[in-house]
Amino acid sequence: MTDLLKVDSRTMLLLRLSTIWRWLFALLTIGGATALWTGGLPISALWQKILLTVVLVTAAIASGIAAVLIGRCDHRGRMISLVLDYLAFAACFVLTLNAGEVFIGIDALGGTFGHGVPYLGIVLLGYLLGTLEDYLPKKHTPEQSLKAVSRWVMVGGLVLFLWQVDAVQGLIYVIGKIARPAGLASVAGMLVFGLSLWAMWREPTATAMNVKTHHEQVLNGWLFLSPNLLGFLIFFAGPLLLSFYFSFTDSDAFNPPNWIGFANYAKILNIRLALLNSPTQLAREVIDVKIYDEVGRLVVGNFGILFAAADKFFWIALRNTLTFALLAVPMSVIPALVLSNVLNSKLPGMKFFRAVYFMPSIAAVVGISLVWQWLYNATIGYINYFITLGIEFWNNLFHIAIVDPKIQWVSDEKTALLAVIIIAAWQTMGFNTVLFLAGLQNVPGELYEAATVDGAGPWDKFWRITLPMLAPTTFYVVTTTTIQAMQVFEQVFILMNPPEGPNNSTITLVLYLYRSGFQNFKQGYASAIAWVLFIVIFGLTLIQFQRQRKSSIYES
Amino acid sequence: MKHNLFWKVISLLVITSFVLVACGTPATEAPAATEAPTKAPATEAPAMTEAPAAGDVALRWRTRPDNQEEINVYSEISNELDGQLDGISLTYEPGGTEGANYQDQLRAEVAAGTAPDVFWIPGTDVADFATRGLILNVSDLATKTEGFDVKAFYSGPMYHLTYNPDTDKTGADSGALWGLPRDVSTFALYLNMDLINEAGAPDPRELAKQGKWDWNAFLEVAQKTRALGSDIYGYGASAWWGPNGVWINAAGGSFFNADRTACALNTPEALKGLDFQRSLYADYDVAVPYGEDPEPPFRAGKVAMFQNGRWATPGVRTVTFNWDVVELPNGPSGTPGNWLFWGAYVINAKTEHPEEAWKLVQALTTAQTQGKVAALGANIPSRVSQEALDAFLTFTPPANNQAFLNGIADSAKPTAEGPVWAGSWPEFDKIVGPAIQAVLTGGTTIDDFGATICDEANKVFTK
Repeated sequence: MTDLLKVDSRTMLLLRLSTIWRWLFALLTIGGATALWTGGLPISALWQKILLTVVLVTAAIASGIAAVLIGRCDHRGRMISLVLDYLAFAACFVLTLNAGEVFIGIDALGGTFGHGVPYLGIVLLGYLLGTLEDYLPKKHTPEQSLKAVSRWVMVGGLVLFLWQVDAVQGLIYVIGKIARPAGLASVAGMLVFGLSLWAMWREPTATAMNVKTHHEQVLNGWLFLSPNLLGFLIFFAGPLLLSFYFSFTDSDAFNPPNWIGFANYAKILNIRLALLNSPTQLAREVIDVKIYDEVGRLVVGNFGILFAAADKFFWIALRNTLTFALLAVPMSVIPALVLSNVLNSKLPGMKFFRAVYFMPSIAAVVGISLVWQWLYNATIGYINYFITLGIEFWNNLFHIAIVDPKIQWVSDEKTALLAVIIIAAWQTMGFNTVLFLAGLQNVPGELYEAATVDGAGPWDKFWRITLPMLAPTTFYVVTTTTIQAMQVFEQVFILMNPPEGPNNSTITLVLYLYRSGFQNFKQGYASAIAWVLFIVIFGLTLIQFQRQRKSSIYES
Repeated sequence: MKHNLFWKVISLLVITSFVLVACGTPATEAPAATEAPTKAPATEAPAMTEAPAAGDVALRWRTRPDNQEEINVYSEISNELDGQLDGISLTYEPGGTEGANYQDQLRAEVAAGTAPDVFWIPGTDVADFATRGLILNVSDLATKTEGFDVKAFYSGPMYHLTYNPDTDKTGADSGALWGLPRDVSTFALYLNMDLINEAGAPDPRELAKQGKWDWNAFLEVAQKTRALGSDIYGYGASAWWGPNGVWINAAGGSFFNADRTACALNTPEALKGLDFQRSLYADYDVAVPYGEDPEPPFRAGKVAMFQNGRWATPGVRTVTFNWDVVELPNGPSGTPGNWLFWGAYVINAKTEHPEEAWKLVQALTTAQTQGKVAALGANIPSRVSQEALDAFLTFTPPANNQAFLNGIADSAKPTAEGPVWAGSWPEFDKIVGPAIQAVLTGGTTIDDFGATICDEANKVFTK
């Protein structure tokens, strides 16, 4: 315990004020939580009430504990107080920005940014001027004056840029918006929490609270971590939990959701198998068509099994997604493995080809899909055009009569999914090639030298050295590609019109959840689909992990 | 040193390009009408670039444009109305971005509470928006408005826009008014007259004038032009409910029963229409494969008859061959079974200024405003006004603009595009669209379709 007599009076006063502040903060948060349930705050959604109540009550308890500990000069009180004030300060800061409509303003900047772009050129010109010193004789004065000119040109360019993008007008607008009750309250909150932070952060207070170096290190560590951590909690973990909650509701995104328990999951998983007396027997004769729809039938001879589901689109989407993954993963991994071995050689020009194969991975999916849409066009697309040319060439050369298939790449249910798979595989292959290349460069050369001495040929070296040594890379590539494949969306959404494709042949799980949530007003149901998809992906990844452990040479 | 030189060269190139951009501005500068949208982007804050006058009510509005020209016209209209409407300051937001279509973006904004005060939605979406309380019922405001009359607009859209889901009543005294139609449109066949003449096929326009333009005549033209080459098609239409519905309607069928509370796709009439459509793809092989976009081959001069709405006109005007339009052929029911497409300006239920928003909706649907939009060629005014229709006929090409007016004339008995108040249109479309596609691409038979479609589709009806 610190000898309180050694603490200066100012610190003593700040500690007492901090204790009072902590109690006051606890009372305010409890008051806020009470107001939530008594109609004092305009929040009607149950999930929002529960979430806010948990946050406020936790803050109240933490603040009360901190008040007690600060009174005892326990360093933990300081730490809790700092964390609470820091979070509250950050919240007030965001609220202030929101009150000033800064987030909308950032969008608006997109519209005016173009006007200012030429003036950024002046900034660049200033920079270029500064670099001219390299070409000047080493005289002190001219060099310095050129630097000064360069600096002023850059500053001038920046000012002109800000002027052109209406930054001044924007600033006035923001200030005007903040100068309203909600904005002013946020600013006041920032000031109060900022002051409390300062009072606890200052060194005399830390000394008075018996703070040791490692306590400070822990605090600093969390402080540096906090931007990322807060971002994770707010933009990832929060929505994740929220979607889990929504999956138990009938949320349409517009009105307060109602709790419906497992109804969404029950509908997704409600399936029925029925025996068919004949292959063509109508579904309504064996299932209740008011509940179920036929998904497919397995016919053997004169008998068959009908598979029906309450939500047939989910099962069709699941089938399509699994088919997609089953084909797209090998099509993007095996060629990548072969290609990486070729590109790993020291032939001239390999760097160029490495870049070429990587390009599709960095190109925008929307652009790529639109280009492929054009290529796939059955009537005037280049793919069919070249197929026709090729067939005509062979027919003329050998006097044969091969029929031009005129493939309807995206409008035939037999080829539509394949068309999407080709694009996805083509786009992913380059990235996988780079990963394999990195893996190949970690394979010790001595192994190949020893194999050569033992008389191994290229195939043996590849099969017995390269492949086993690439196992960790292969595992990573296969796992990430599978996860990516299970989430296929953009290519289908852009390429196909309608995205579901002919007879639902390209409807995938993510597309279906998007359609359910954003087009059919079923956010709750879409959330349930998302969680089922998560379980499917998690299960597949788990299987891959287990197989990796069993087969990896590194494990043994 | 080499490295530095590289960066300096790059910097010089960048500076040069900036200078070129800056110098190039006058050359690419658009007239006043085109200047506005670049200064008022879709998501721009209302007052960031143009602060409303003190005391003015700031309203944001949005409609779906099909191209930059439409954006320019709507921006110009917004600027004009801004000056005309006292106490109201307007910001026009063109909707839709690459990768996020208009409706999806709008719904997300409605859910987030950031949607504009007034926005356009397709006719099929009105019920979903109204029953969820997302748009304002302006019936009371309309009643108080002097001179306002729902009969000033086409009756088809107004039937749905005045539908009261609580009482199932419709009309001026139903107690419901969900918005006003922005425009109307209908299908016509865009003709490649060069192909038709080359094939020696009869001129569909002449046949239409003589009252002989029916399915048989249509098929004859399609077959003769198809015979011109393996890459030439007689007919092409996009894959959505609109073209499908035309054949079903023309055969006397319908998507729904009379009171739109159940599926009617299994009736003999509906199946007959669908079977004729199927035969165009399968039996006669005259059509661009179903699901392939027919517009590129039409514009490339490889399709004789391209079925599309008035909205396709601006694009078709760029083709180099001799073209015109004709109304759709009459089916067995004696009518072409055409649609009367429409979309409406509606008011966000969360707007803080309903009265001003209602004034804006009225201003956006005056004959004058609609005339300006129609002049582009993409729309037909939604007001029943001979003056507006006469003006529409002057917006050529096509020379035969009358074909569009014939399509929406009462005598043609067009079916008004409409929402499903007793269920969900998106859900219905989700089931029916792929099922019809399966028929047209040979994945299932007409009989199987007829036997199962309503079992599935009836699930979307709640009443």
